[in-house]
Amino acid sequence: MPGKTPDKEPVDNAGYRGGNKMKGKAGKKGEDEKMTVVVPPSKKKDVEGDVAMDVDEKVEEENVGEKTVADIKGNFALLDRAVALFDARFTLRALRSVSSIRKRLTPDILAQAISETYTSTSPGAEIAAGLLKVIGKEGVPLGGGKAGIEMEIDSEPSSKSPQKNGSKKEQKEIAPEIDVFFGILTQVLLHDSKQWQQGLDFSRFLIDKIQALNRRTLDSLSAKVYFYYELFAEQLAPLPPSSQSSIVAIRPVLLAALRTAVLRKDTDTQASVIVLLLRNYLLTSHISQADLLVSHTQFPENAANNQVARYLYYLGKVRAIQLLYTEAHNHLTAATRKAPSSACAVGFSQTATKLLLVVELLMGDIPDRATFRQPTMEAALHPYFLLVKAVRVGDLGEFERIVAQHGDAFRRDGTYTLILRLRQNVIKTGIRMMSLSYSRISLRDICIRLHLGSEESAEYIVAKAIRDGVIEASLDREKGYMKSKEVGDVYATREPGETFHDRIRACLGLHDESVKAMRFPMNQHRLELKNAQEAREREREMAKEIQEGDLDEDDLGGEFEGM
Amino acid sequence: MADRQLTTLLTQLRTPSLPFAQSTTLLSKAKLLLLQLSALTPSPTVPPQTLTLAREVYELGALHSLRAKNPESFTRYVSQLQPFYDLPPQSSSAPSQNQNKVTALWLLFLLTQGRYTEFHSDLEGLSTRGSVAEVENDRFLGYPIKLERWLMEGAYDRVWKAMKKGEVPSEEFGVLCEVLTPQIRREIASSSERAYPSLPFLSAQSLLFLDSEGAVIDFAHSRGWVIKDKIIYFPTAAELNADEEGEQELEKDVSQMVIENTLGYARQLETIV
Repeated sequence: MPGKTPDKEPVDNAGYRGGNKMKGKAGKKGEDEKMTVVVPPSKKKDVEGDVAMDVDEKVEEENVGEKTVADIKGNFALLDRAVALFDARFTLRALRSVSSIRKRLTPDILAQAISETYTSTSPGAEIAAGLLKVIGKEGVPLGGGKAGIEMEIDSEPSSKSPQKNGSKKEQKEIAPEIDVFFGILTQVLLHDSKQWQQGLDFSRFLIDKIQALNRRTLDSLSAKVYFYYELFAEQLAPLPPSSQSSIVAIRPVLLAALRTAVLRKDTDTQASVIVLLLRNYLLTSHISQADLLVSHTQFPENAANNQVARYLYYLGKVRAIQLLYTEAHNHLTAATRKAPSSACAVGFSQTATKLLLVVELLMGDIPDRATFRQPTMEAALHPYFLLVKAVRVGDLGEFERIVAQHGDAFRRDGTYTLILRLRQNVIKTGIRMMSLSYSRISLRDICIRLHLGSEESAEYIVAKAIRDGVIEASLDREKGYMKSKEVGDVYATREPGETFHDRIRACLGLHDESVKAMRFPMNQHRLELKNAQEAREREREMAKEIQEGDLDEDDLGGEFEGM
Repeated sequence: MADRQLTTLLTQLRTPSLPFAQSTTLLSKAKLLLLQLSALTPSPTVPPQTLTLAREVYELGALHSLRAKNPESFTRYVSQLQPFYDLPPQSSSAPSQNQNKVTALWLLFLLTQGRYTEFHSDLEGLSTRGSVAEVENDRFLGYPIKLERWLMEGAYDRVWKAMKKGEVPSEEFGVLCEVLTPQIRREIASSSERAYPSLPFLSAQSLLFLDSEGAVIDFAHSRGWVIKDKIIYFPTAAELNADEEGEQELEKDVSQMVIENTLGYARQLETIV
């Protein structure tokens, strides 16, 4: 690491983008807010047609297309089950598959899937036509596929004799969840092909539809819809830092969605919309609004882990700007720990770690060196590594050089203003280093070494450092030097004892917690064993009774014995 | 009609040497007119010219209230201005000349009140107005930013230099700097108490930026410093005595704490084993 030169900088970018790319492809679940660079699906290029495309490839491609359509349809079963059993888990499972479908999704495939699902007579036909129009495939007829024909056959007799075929018809009727699922796929498609304005309009339409439907089984789906709504708005010109960006315009919609979600106890949407609003406010640097939002809302406790991690990150950012470093540090540590450890969320952990490092520096701590050694972080954190080195040594010149050199990177990460605040920490560390190494040093030397403007400045700064307890020293005005007090023996003070006590307490706390954590399942386990034993005994008794009683089935008893 | 009245009022208000009482009446008249035009808060139905007028009324109001040393009214005007500054540029005719000045004054005001949290939140919001370098090099906006940085570092001499009459960007800044001066002096005094065992009289005078020896004596008395032979002794000896007494008590506390802790460990060990 020390041998690393600044010309490694481009690696940071490459690694960073790489992370995004991976994310865009590998995981919608783990996709974080940095997901702005989206690589269009690689399939698209193939579809548009390489002249020299092999027949084999073509066949393979068709297979992929069919498989994707099948995958999309496979999710309908999950969604139907979610509706039937009223269980959000199935919906989540369907949503999880979006990321794998995304890689292969093209307008053609989606159009095919839509046309095979809807018929021109089914109630969803209107929506289907709308979807097709958005992805630019108006020409595709509905009910084109085999499934569609089947459905038509099914629905015709059912309309004549609804009582007989009622149950069958219900099965074939397309649930609104499936409409919305197609809507999300369309959003993904529009997002990947960078049609921001269209995507925003379509999202707005989809949101209106969801709100009109008011179905609890739509909750997790609608959270996703809002997520893309925000993403589309962010991409539209004028871009976010300007107060005229379209993200300001979507705030009322999001706030209304939040209110509705809270009233309907829809935790998925609630969590995701709070996070989106926070992100929205922070993009236009409306810190006080973000702070008010946090203080007036309650983040749902049972929100998805990803949303919690994002929420904590944004909260940490707000608190850091408000100079509440300790709070910010807690939130950010929790955010980095909660971030998924898989490769799909590298971008999020990088961003959160960057902010965490700066906050740690602001608190006067020096971050652990191991943080910079993680292979996924190393390149991205390089400017911060240099920064930490400068702060640790207390070299003001080096610090300013790094800030100037990597200013763009810091600005991009949104940590620039926080880093500017570090200047005083660097000065303090510098003074401390000097007071430790010299028993007496002239103010002029301090001034020269720390590159302070004048001796008077140095005098005031040192005096302030003494008052703040940074160093143990005194100043001599007439002779113009700083005299360090003898550093006492630490082991003569209470400090080691206190630290020792703290550590023991932490260990004891850990022990207590583990005991508490173990107790419940242990008893439960025993209870189950006991129940099982009792059941077995009961069965045995029953079997005995059956045997003893004049029951004619002899082999029945044997069967019980076998259990 | 009301428009024209407002314009005449504004020209009257623009004269810098307006007595406070007069400006207050003029401002309240102007606000009444704004109410008639329903332009007290920006709404899409109001024509842009009227909005510009309204904005100017508030800006002048903010500056006047600062000159009159009325922090409450200043706060009110600044909050009323906020929605006007957040308007998209096409709806109001031209960006205000005074916007940066008012914002900078607001930041400085927050500094004098010690509201650092809000100061930094608002500072973050400035990044939407341009790059960081642009903001820092702005004649008005750069001023409070620099002051804050120097205050945090402890470079009080630079703060002092920046606050001298000729250095402030405009008259209104001077008003706030006057509020800041005693605060800074207090800061310097408290750090000097700790840093120096004793201080010659003249050095104290220059350190504390006081004008005369009499002022030094007054200040020393107010802080409870002892003056002997033109040398100021800070009340360290007395403090040390107090500390020693405290230490003895602490000693007792320490032994008691150690016993308590050890007993605690023993109890815990028992439950574990």
